[in-house]
Amino acid sequence: MEQKILKKEDIGKLYNEFSSEYKFYAPIKQKGNIVFERIENPDDIVLDYLNSRIPPKSILFPQMEVLFEYKLDDKDVEITDRQDLDEKFMIFGIRPCDAYSYELFANFFSFHGNWKDEIYLKKKENTTLIGIGCNTPRSTCFCTSVGGHPFNKENMDVFLTDLGETYLVEAISDKGKEIVKKLSWLSDAADKDVKKSEELAKKAEESFVTQIDVDTIVKNLEKSFDHPVWDEISEVCIGCGSCSYLCPTCTCFDVIDETDQYNNKGRRVRIWDTCQSCLYTLETSGHNPRDTKIQRCRNRIMHKFSYYPANYDLLGCVGCGRCIMVCPANNDLRDHLAKIEKIGKEEKEEKAVV
Amino acid sequence: MTIEAENKEIEASIRDVAKKMLSEKQVDVIIGYSQGTLPLSSTPIVIRNEEQVDNLIWDNLCYINLARYLAPLMPQLCDSEGNALKIGIVSKGCVGRAVNLLAAEKQIDLDKVKMIGFNCNGNVNRSKIAMEIGEKEILDVSITGNEIIVKGKDWEQNFPYSEYINELCKVCQVKIPSATEATCLGECQQLESINDEFADIDEFEAKSTEEKWDYIKKELEVCTLCYSCRQACPACYCNLCFVDQNKPIWFNKTTEYTDIFTFHLIRSMHLAGRCVACGACSSVCPVGIDLNFITRKLEKIVKTRFNYTSGLNAKTLPPMMNFKMEDAEEFMLEED
Amino acid sequence: MTETVLEKKVEEKWEPKIIAFLCNWCSYAGADLAGVSRIQYPPNIRIVRVPCSGRVNPYFIIKSLTDGWDGVVVSGCHPGDCHYISGNLVARRRFAILKELLEFFGIEPGRVNFMWASAAEGERFAVLIRKATKMVKELGPNTKFQKEW
Repeated sequence: MEQKILKKEDIGKLYNEFSSEYKFYAPIKQKGNIVFERIENPDDIVLDYLNSRIPPKSILFPQMEVLFEYKLDDKDVEITDRQDLDEKFMIFGIRPCDAYSYELFANFFSFHGNWKDEIYLKKKENTTLIGIGCNTPRSTCFCTSVGGHPFNKENMDVFLTDLGETYLVEAISDKGKEIVKKLSWLSDAADKDVKKSEELAKKAEESFVTQIDVDTIVKNLEKSFDHPVWDEISEVCIGCGSCSYLCPTCTCFDVIDETDQYNNKGRRVRIWDTCQSCLYTLETSGHNPRDTKIQRCRNRIMHKFSYYPANYDLLGCVGCGRCIMVCPANNDLRDHLAKIEKIGKEEKEEKAVV
Repeated sequence: MTIEAENKEIEASIRDVAKKMLSEKQVDVIIGYSQGTLPLSSTPIVIRNEEQVDNLIWDNLCYINLARYLAPLMPQLCDSEGNALKIGIVSKGCVGRAVNLLAAEKQIDLDKVKMIGFNCNGNVNRSKIAMEIGEKEILDVSITGNEIIVKGKDWEQNFPYSEYINELCKVCQVKIPSATEATCLGECQQLESINDEFADIDEFEAKSTEEKWDYIKKELEVCTLCYSCRQACPACYCNLCFVDQNKPIWFNKTTEYTDIFTFHLIRSMHLAGRCVACGACSSVCPVGIDLNFITRKLEKIVKTRFNYTSGLNAKTLPPMMNFKMEDAEEFMLEED
Repeated sequence: MTETVLEKKVEEKWEPKIIAFLCNWCSYAGADLAGVSRIQYPPNIRIVRVPCSGRVNPYFIIKSLTDGWDGVVVSGCHPGDCHYISGNLVARRRFAILKELLEFFGIEPGRVNFMWASAAEGERFAVLIRKATKMVKELGPNTKFQKEW
């Protein structure tokens, strides 16, 4: 891969190159938060950010999405599927943890190839990811503990590194190589630029404050379904679901039908749902297998760190730390994982004493 | 006395009362606030014996309304047969109001709940500070003298305390819980009513209808309908929230503006006369919507119409559970 | 609704659609009396009969607005005359809060109206409906609150 240099003031030029062909999304400031929005004016783009409040999953898997529309007339029902799935997306300035989350999405939306969600998969196929490395990860980030890296380029098409005045541009995938070819006006990178990017990567990797022993946790969770640790973990949770709404790997959704009875038409919509809602597992019979907060809190952590590895051989957490930051009760995931890690040790100590 | 000194005093008095309550077996558990793992946060904690009393803190970042844990009651606060334990609850003024409200609505038994009252000196406005700091990581927040000191890796910024507390805290009239000595240890008072002119929302109310609609649209547009505000509210304890009903579906949960607006409008209506103005809804909102001005309007409506303020005692029913022949009807349509 | 649709409606001499919740014992009978006595009043209202004004859940009013109705009228017995003793008194407090909140949130006052009209007051019923229809007509179509897709 031949590296190129993109000057910071040329981001507008890059935007102009692609904005007509792609739906261009990048981070902007909105009401004091960083969010990924469709860009109208390239001056709004903010790349010097820690991470967005709402993860970029909201671009391909929005909070509310119409699945299809229908019209009724006397006897017939006319269904109109989504017409806009051929449109191309370009997501500019995405972090490696969020880019990796799309890999986990692919698992969910095609479940071992058995059930394919056409809408999401088609959109993902038409998406180009231009990512940027994290020079200064937050103290709440822990991607290195879950198999990630602040400069992980694997899931990107094009990767940028912030060198200060310029960005180092690397094409990773074939799609990415096409993109960089189109940007023929980029200057070539010098060896010192590449060396600087490697130094930045190493510095970022060493700056992580949070280290978690994930293997022990996955192992401990296999036998801890009824352990009293869940009582402690869920004690102060208020059951709001913010953690799952802002989690880049959470994919659960509810499907609702809306009817406009005065005009004989309707549509089927999917909206984000959360396993922390007390109604999530409510069955038509009235029985609710997870009707206490303890069970719901347990479910979330086990889904990410136990069921996901069992089903897909992958960890269901990308280490972005959003759940830690947004929790209103400051119910810190790191504390929970530390408690789970200790489970085996207590028993070992007891055995040693005996 | 500086805020810092006040905090130390309050913390010491909470711990003293808590120790006394636990040692005399007046309560089985105490719900309070403990040190958070993030700056600008605190974590609620449930302690069960005297050794844990030093975990209780008070530091102007205690924005969760602890009465929220009382209804519905979770298994951790019940004994093995499912009966409620005796619970002590660290009560700033608004938490006390919420406890009174829940008692008046027969959701809790005041024989089993004791408040640890103190004179609250306000909570820091987290979203205002986060917005001013911008995209830099905050590593430490502390109160020194009368200033809030915010530190990052290699920067520091000071904020004057009195300007950067929650809007509701600025106009709060019930800083000490209003309760009898039987239900509240520590500091308490017995208020019949409060004086409030609501000058802060008069300016908003003087605007034209279009301006009001536009202002509210701008605030609420970013709502992701996560329902954190509803979950953090002590008065929202319904088993099935109106927005979750599906036989029939009354109001949809999409993020189109009509649905967002309807959710907040109807939730406000359900809270009229019951809202205790604790500001937890605003503090927990993940996108930083300021729901406090709606809270103030609700208080104004019931104060001016029914001369009522929620949570001042555990007996008076909220105005929506009552009616009088002489109620004002100036808003009705009449012949010219 | 887009601007052009709004203009079109005004052009076509748009008439408001108003939904009226009338209590069975007083207001509905009052409306009936107005009809039998051939008292003329605007045909814009569509009547929904409810047993008592206290039955009217504020959800009805808000759902009507989101469904696209331009105005809402709720009418019941005079205080003290309720067939169920105190239904209208309960309703009165509800309506007071709802009206203040709707105004605070930016819905035009004048779209949602509450009134008392007894079974003998056919003329009064017509007068008040005329007044309400005039107010809603001046406000124009309910475009901002309606859920449209």
